[in-house]
Amino acid sequence: MRYFVRLAALIAAALLVGGLPAQADQTMEMAKKEGKVVWYSSISLAIAQELCNTFNAKKLGIECVLHRDGSGKLYRRWIQEAKSNIYAADILHTSDIGHFVTLRREGALVPYLPEVAKKYNPAFVEKDGNWLVLRASVYAACYNTKKVTASEAPTSWKDFLDPKWKGKMVNAHPGYSGFVSLGLAALVKEFGWDYLDKLAANQPRIVQSAVDTTTYVVRGEALICSGGGLYNHFGAIKKGEPIKAIIPKEGAPFVASAQAIMKNGPHPNAARVFTDWLFSLEAQQILAKRGLYSGHPDVVYPKGLVPLKEVKLMVVDPEDAMKMDKPIDEAFRRKFGV
Amino acid sequence: MESTVSVRTGLKTGRFDPTLMVWVTAAVVLAILIVAPMFYLVYESVAVRQGLGLFETKASFGLGNYVKAYTDPLYRGPILWTVIIAVSVGFFSMLVGSLMAWAVARTDVPYPGLIRTASLVSFVTPPFLGATAWVLLAGPREGWLNIWYRWLTGAGEEDYLFNIFSMPGVIFAMVLYVIPLVFIVVLSGLNNISSDLEDASNIAGAGTLQTMFGITLPLVMPALFAGLILAVLEAMILFGTPAMLAIPARQHVMTTQIRAFMQSEDYLVGLASAFALPMLLAAIVLLWLRRRALGRRSYATIGGKGGQRRPQKLGPYRWVLFAGCVAPLVCALGLPYFALGVNSLMRTQGGGIGWENLTLGNYRFIYENDAVAQSIWNTIVLAIMAATAGTVMAALISYIYQRRLVRGYQVMGFLTTVPLAIPGIVLAVGLFAAYTKQPFVLYGTLWILFLAYLTRYLPVAFQTTNASLMSIHPELEESARILGANRLRVFGEITVPLFKAGLIAAWVLIFMPSIRELSASVLLWTTRTKVISVVIVDFYEEGLLQNVSALGVLLIAITLVFVVGAYRVVGRDFMRT
Repeated sequence: MRYFVRLAALIAAALLVGGLPAQADQTMEMAKKEGKVVWYSSISLAIAQELCNTFNAKKLGIECVLHRDGSGKLYRRWIQEAKSNIYAADILHTSDIGHFVTLRREGALVPYLPEVAKKYNPAFVEKDGNWLVLRASVYAACYNTKKVTASEAPTSWKDFLDPKWKGKMVNAHPGYSGFVSLGLAALVKEFGWDYLDKLAANQPRIVQSAVDTTTYVVRGEALICSGGGLYNHFGAIKKGEPIKAIIPKEGAPFVASAQAIMKNGPHPNAARVFTDWLFSLEAQQILAKRGLYSGHPDVVYPKGLVPLKEVKLMVVDPEDAMKMDKPIDEAFRRKFGV
Repeated sequence: MESTVSVRTGLKTGRFDPTLMVWVTAAVVLAILIVAPMFYLVYESVAVRQGLGLFETKASFGLGNYVKAYTDPLYRGPILWTVIIAVSVGFFSMLVGSLMAWAVARTDVPYPGLIRTASLVSFVTPPFLGATAWVLLAGPREGWLNIWYRWLTGAGEEDYLFNIFSMPGVIFAMVLYVIPLVFIVVLSGLNNISSDLEDASNIAGAGTLQTMFGITLPLVMPALFAGLILAVLEAMILFGTPAMLAIPARQHVMTTQIRAFMQSEDYLVGLASAFALPMLLAAIVLLWLRRRALGRRSYATIGGKGGQRRPQKLGPYRWVLFAGCVAPLVCALGLPYFALGVNSLMRTQGGGIGWENLTLGNYRFIYENDAVAQSIWNTIVLAIMAATAGTVMAALISYIYQRRLVRGYQVMGFLTTVPLAIPGIVLAVGLFAAYTKQPFVLYGTLWILFLAYLTRYLPVAFQTTNASLMSIHPELEESARILGANRLRVFGEITVPLFKAGLIAAWVLIFMPSIRELSASVLLWTTRTKVISVVIVDFYEEGLLQNVSALGVLLIAITLVFVVGAYRVVGRDFMRT
């Protein structure tokens, strides 16, 4: 009994004195034993790889293993694998916030709030820590500056329905891209389902990833893109490609790309360590440098990136995103044929 | 007859009868490779599933999937496109491929060796890389050929010569890589016919064309027909080319639609199966027609080549014919390799070709990408595993088949060739349906891909070992048996050394298509089991064309190293079957 009391006192003291760091040490210890963290991520490959490489360069004894794919494909792959009792992913990161609402309902997420999250803009943090927004951007259109002048370029989302652009634009697929899924959900909310019909009538090239709409336009294979990721356009501009982003006058759909630790992930402690790092200033600064918006208050944005507060945002809340996800995908397949 | 006798004597002398063991093993292998996937394919096609939450489904049985797949107007386009593309590709490939074969086999066309070698190289070039290259060459606005066309003719900015994102574009990009298939089949057909009749026709006063149409053509008809059918089949089951060229033009074909079903929100394995089964039936009918056309000749590829073959003298026209043979090869090899090579060195996509736009960064990017490293490893391990296991199986089965070791050896030979009729993506749907279920969950491991590759390429290996074994007379084995060696020892010490070349050829014929296999892999990969072709499609879908090019150059390099190696070891004959 005396022994027991002493033990209890010890534990209490430990908790009081250095409870949290001790716990963090323990997580780190176990994470090292796990050795790696598997990250299913929809962020463009170049950026995802930079994050992983930076993390790996720290030589923590935890290797970041990246699986990059489109949001829709990642989400469905995770479910498909779970159905076969395969749990390969530790962290899932997609641009379709609706996915996380569904996964939360299904109990597939492991809540976790890193220390640093307290500093974050509350809009970037789900209150129970089910998910955190790793990065945000807007669904923005674009044009090729060699082939389209600034005065010709569309200024409204409705301009993309004008037959003069028929056969000259590119659009990505909502079944693949979370950006497009959310972007189209916002546009459908604003302009009605009719918007998709008229867009389809203009016969855009259909690519899979929102990233590819940017590359189609920089190659000049399409003159304009009727939607894409602002950060991808920004990256192409920085690289010297002939492209400009368009934020139409009605505003731009806000895309907050969340991530969560997944249940039954093979490396749960490494997932926490990696999450801690992804939300640290260092990682968030890498994202900001690439033209993404961060919830971290201390990041410095690069020159040429429009501040988020100056953008008129079209917001689809997570519940709506969840409800719109499938109907948008199905309507798109039917109207665009693929 | 012989088989019954030998088996009977085996029983009489009380020695171990291998029949039962062989058949049990064969039955198990068969069940794993073919019966289970095909059973579950049919099963899923009649299981109408309703989702209960994310992870559970409830199945009821009926024809709902078929009704949906074949009445919904959305799915008519893919079926129509598949039929038109398959028939057109078959027709054009046969036309060009057989012309090339005739030129090489029967005329004094210059550099026949070059045509032959280049055909071989285009045969081993992954069609999806060809498609990527043709996006760079013939994208309507920024394809290099179209830019040059506008520059030469002064045509308007919206004018173009080629639009690769169209049905003709898809057909064109497929034909380039199906031609060599026809070429090989028709060439071997022509090589088996002596020129005596052609000579007679010439002596009787007929001209080159008259001889060609009156004599050669009818003689080679079965081979032509066989080539046509293989071409139609190949065009029907290709996945990569339409995925890269038709989808941007807002059109699925059946293979890409099957993948879309499998990856859609509701995991429509049932609809995918309902789409896959008719493809399977079509393939069976096509191969049956081919068999009928060829009669028994289909296996006798190493028959005696009676008589002599003398080339027709074409005079100056031989250069016209040469140009006709080289043009498709330039389109299949020269232009695409150039496009991929240059694109892989470009820094920006919009910057065009020039020194200031030059970089090795795309190669560094793929070097640093761990998905790429993992996929190269997976690809090579899988290809080696499939090739080795497949060669061993093919050798044993063809030995049993040729030497009639067990009762029902014909059945065993036939069953081994059955997978020829199973399109890759159809097999993949079946494997997926069969091996994602407890307790045999192979999904998520390399094994499911291994099964796919083994099943797909075993028939070709079997035909090769079979043909090779046919040329080894059993009397050598019989002498060893008489001297007291058992079957196994005879097989190991007499037969195998004699048909080493056939074994190597079989190994290469599994290895080569395995390292670029896409249409089955694209449904069966998981994050830890990606292969190079899947990573290339991933990159393509994200628009990372320069990285696709860099990885493509790497894949072609790996392929060519093996082809050249195989060529050195066995000579060009390994492409015969």
